[in-house]
Amino acid sequence: MVELVPTLLRQELERLAADDQRIDGRGQWDSRDVSLEVDCLYNAEGSAKVVWGDTIIYAGVKFEIRTPWPDRPTQGSLMCGAELRPVAHRKYEPGPPSPQSIELGRVVDRGIRESGCIDMEELCIVPGEKVWGVMIDIHVLSDGGNIFDAAGLAAIAALRTAVVPAERFDVGEDHKLKVNGSPIMASFTRAGGRFVYDPSEEEELGGDERIHITLGDEGHLHSLQKGLRGVFTPSEFAEILAVAEQKCTELREMVAEKEGN
Amino acid sequence: MGGYGDVKLLRDDGKRLDGRTVDEMRPVSIEAGVLPAADGSAMVTHGLNVAVAAVYGPMEAHPRKIQRQDRAVIDVRYNMAPFSTGDRIRPGFNRRSREISKVTAEALESVVLVERYPRSKIRVEIEILAAEAGTRCVGITAAAVALADAGIPMRDMIVGVASGKIEDTVVLDLDKAEDNYGQADLPVGILPNTGEIAFLQMDGDLSIEEFNLAMEYNFKAASEIHELMVDALKRRYERGDN
Repeated sequence: MVELVPTLLRQELERLAADDQRIDGRGQWDSRDVSLEVDCLYNAEGSAKVVWGDTIIYAGVKFEIRTPWPDRPTQGSLMCGAELRPVAHRKYEPGPPSPQSIELGRVVDRGIRESGCIDMEELCIVPGEKVWGVMIDIHVLSDGGNIFDAAGLAAIAALRTAVVPAERFDVGEDHKLKVNGSPIMASFTRAGGRFVYDPSEEEELGGDERIHITLGDEGHLHSLQKGLRGVFTPSEFAEILAVAEQKCTELREMVAEKEGN
Repeated sequence: MGGYGDVKLLRDDGKRLDGRTVDEMRPVSIEAGVLPAADGSAMVTHGLNVAVAAVYGPMEAHPRKIQRQDRAVIDVRYNMAPFSTGDRIRPGFNRRSREISKVTAEALESVVLVERYPRSKIRVEIEILAAEAGTRCVGITAAAVALADAGIPMRDMIVGVASGKIEDTVVLDLDKAEDNYGQADLPVGILPNTGEIAFLQMDGDLSIEEFNLAMEYNFKAASEIHELMVDALKRRYERGDN
């Protein structure tokens, strides 16, 4: 479906930005309300539901036993995929995975993979023969804007509560998946000419480029992605990076708190 | 139906493995208006099954060749999330989900007043987030509540329910083990006010008497679930957001 970008919406976003306001009344770096629920789906070995404003996303973790790659006989594997199914918005249509859903899955995948929170050696069962394949599936049920941050949060929360189903595959006892750290994503969209944190659906529709930053526990960068048409300056990036550090720390605490329950 | 009678599914006291009596259904809860992006939506949990349905439209029907001059078409997609089952399901359509989508669409077209919206399309998306036997029925129930939540006129609600047979005994609402090792499964879509049937499938082995008893159980369950559906819609409007 072709999205019509109303000129009026763009003008309104510009007018609001000039007054340091946002279309839903938030400040430039304010988030919408976020709620996180973990271990919420029967049959998934790890699961999480994130409600982020009008965005609703589930993530589920499944395990399979596979043969390791010949050049890495002692390493398991991790895969993170996303589906933007037509359930989530009028604009999504059925069919093979769209470029947007592939981008979403891969950006979340990179943040988790590159943070090193999963030790691939720990996923080895029998070197050269059997390793665990960990699969995180992100299921977007309602796209109300900023699906990237919600997907990243759901994915790491599902992973951190996952139990390796070793008994079902007859390779030992069930045990918690070892996850060292919580990579968290923070996303910014240019709306009305300036960057805002946690763009709403309208800000995405009437805005320009977006930047996704994934930070690890130590505050190191693990994945970056710039999407859509537009350019930004190094000083703009420095500003949003500082905001990202604070936002990621808050969300990491939320994950830790849910995990403790 | 998987195996036949080689697994014990009824206890010595005549109850089922999870403690239910033969004509008792699993606990059901329904919530309407759960997805902000959709025109109408619902979430139904039935035992350990979780189904979410979203409705979009009526909207322009495209491609044009699917248009009907005298009525709306209902475009249903039944989809199981990759993490909804024991072994992960590869994303995308398969033969099973295509068939279920087709017969579900035809069932919904039987209750929606499609003649009110010529040349248009109503999209119904059914997502199964957790599966524990009977997902097509849970999906139909969720779709009906979502259609009502979207304000689309219908001649009646439609309720998805199933009965079956285990150890030569007719039982209401098969769970996972009963579905895998039972002898028959009879999912139907019932219009609770008119008593008509808009969805019917069956596999396994049932005598005519057993079929009649299974249907009796189905009608009883449908009226129980119907009350929950109406209640969910009332709560939705008491809540009052959009």
